[in-house]
Amino acid sequence: MATVLYLDELSKNYGSLKAVDRLSLEVEAGSIYGLLGPNGSGKTTTLGMVLDVIRPSNGSFLWFGRSISKETKLRVGALLETPNFYPYLTAKANLQVVADTKQANHRHINKMLDMVGLGTRSHTTFKGFSLGMKQRLALAAAMLNDPEVLVLDEPTNGLDPQGIAEVRDLITRIAAQGKTILLASHLLDEVEKVCTHVAVLQSGKLKANGPVGNILSAKDQLLISAEELPPVLQLLERLPYVVQFAQEKSYISLTLSEGYTSTDLNRDMFAQGIVLSQILVRRKSLEAQFLEITQK
Amino acid sequence: MNLIRTELRKIIHYPTFWTIMAIYVLLQVLLIYFSSNLMVSGQSLGKSLYDFPNIWMRFSYIAYFFNLLLGILLIVLITDEYSFRTLRQQVIDGRSRAEAVLAKFYVTLGLAAAGTVFLLAMGLLFGLIYSTNTSIEAIFSKIDYLSYFFVQAVGYMCLAMFFAFLIRKSGLAIIAFLAWSKIVEPIIHYQMDDRIDRFMPMKVFGSLTPTPGQELIDGLTSPTMALSPGWAVLPALVYIALLVFGSILLVRLRDL
Repeated sequence: MATVLYLDELSKNYGSLKAVDRLSLEVEAGSIYGLLGPNGSGKTTTLGMVLDVIRPSNGSFLWFGRSISKETKLRVGALLETPNFYPYLTAKANLQVVADTKQANHRHINKMLDMVGLGTRSHTTFKGFSLGMKQRLALAAAMLNDPEVLVLDEPTNGLDPQGIAEVRDLITRIAAQGKTILLASHLLDEVEKVCTHVAVLQSGKLKANGPVGNILSAKDQLLISAEELPPVLQLLERLPYVVQFAQEKSYISLTLSEGYTSTDLNRDMFAQGIVLSQILVRRKSLEAQFLEITQK
Repeated sequence: MNLIRTELRKIIHYPTFWTIMAIYVLLQVLLIYFSSNLMVSGQSLGKSLYDFPNIWMRFSYIAYFFNLLLGILLIVLITDEYSFRTLRQQVIDGRSRAEAVLAKFYVTLGLAAAGTVFLLAMGLLFGLIYSTNTSIEAIFSKIDYLSYFFVQAVGYMCLAMFFAFLIRKSGLAIIAFLAWSKIVEPIIHYQMDDRIDRFMPMKVFGSLTPTPGQELIDGLTSPTMALSPGWAVLPALVYIALLVFGSILLVRLRDL
């Protein structure tokens, strides 16, 4: 697979604050790469640097294997932080300005407006738009010259549930055309639902990265209880497939290694004469996993 | 060409732009019209103000004051790009930083050209109505003052452009522009030898449109050391180049 974007020890310092700290990443063609992290973790700063509007303090990055230039910029459509348009111009006039810059065919403007559902509002000025419409106009602008790569910074930020669903649907449709998408988000379920790869950022540092399945694999958690807990605890210590367990009030929570289920546990308990009064399978929340990753 | 077309798209539907241009035209027409009532040395200037060929010198001197308005307009256009974050978006989309500055320099040239054409129209209008001498020779003999005015307008707007890119906030940039051109630099002039301060930027730009009747004043007091318009063109062009280059440097060195 060809590498679309390569970051090598990219850093940005604001005084003594390290907004991004020696970040190295590789985004492969065709992937939907999520940049996940809480607010202020350096996602926007990272995207700002690779988009040529923030000067890196250190390190370097390559687009399509070469340094950034007009030619590489035209292959990337990007939406950074907020939709940026002239408030007094209509949607169409704003896209004309963008089309000039991107050397895009002006005939695509109406087509893109239709695609994001703004076809009937093309003569409304930008300042009259709702937040969701502004966001969709920004997506239309980003895709105006049919770029190979889309960089989207918090594309669903501030949208209502319907707007979120629409934007996500749009992203999946775009990705289905074989485009590479780099998506920054602080929403775990967004990244899990949409992305193929993820990098977790915290305080500007890379905490984990890889395919979403590996990083955010939701291992099942079991909750069990019995009349007498001490014998259960003793047995759990001897069972090889129990990864970890902990007593919490009247029950015990535990996780099993891959390939084992609650059935195995129940059978082994019964074989030792222990009758469990309750077995509950609970999917471990993404939030809990995220906290686990960031607290490593 | 692409840059100019894009700038036109932004300006043409911008109410603020047309408002400032309307104020520019209106105030200037008023001043030109009523300046014939001005009293100099106890007598009214009268309609002799509009006599060819000196009308070009007088009108360009009047227009000189309104360069401040053009400068403010340019500051508004540039700081808008920061507050709308559209400068940032255009750099993301494929413009270079130098192109972003050059685009505004082209706007400057366009506005200066428009101001010059307006001055030409006003000169011809008032001159042909009121001038005693309307021979072709009289009309065109001192029309080169219009080209000095053009250079001056570009110079003023380039200074405004520099402050806009430096400060990025419209209010503060306008204050800095006015403060430098009307207060700070004049104070520096007082502290300096006349032979040196005549090369200071505002003085150079000012020398392009000399005060009408300066010869008269010179007769009464010690003669001014100011450069003649012809001699001021070269240093003015140097300042313009420095200001444009400085703006490019500012935008290149900082985050957007």
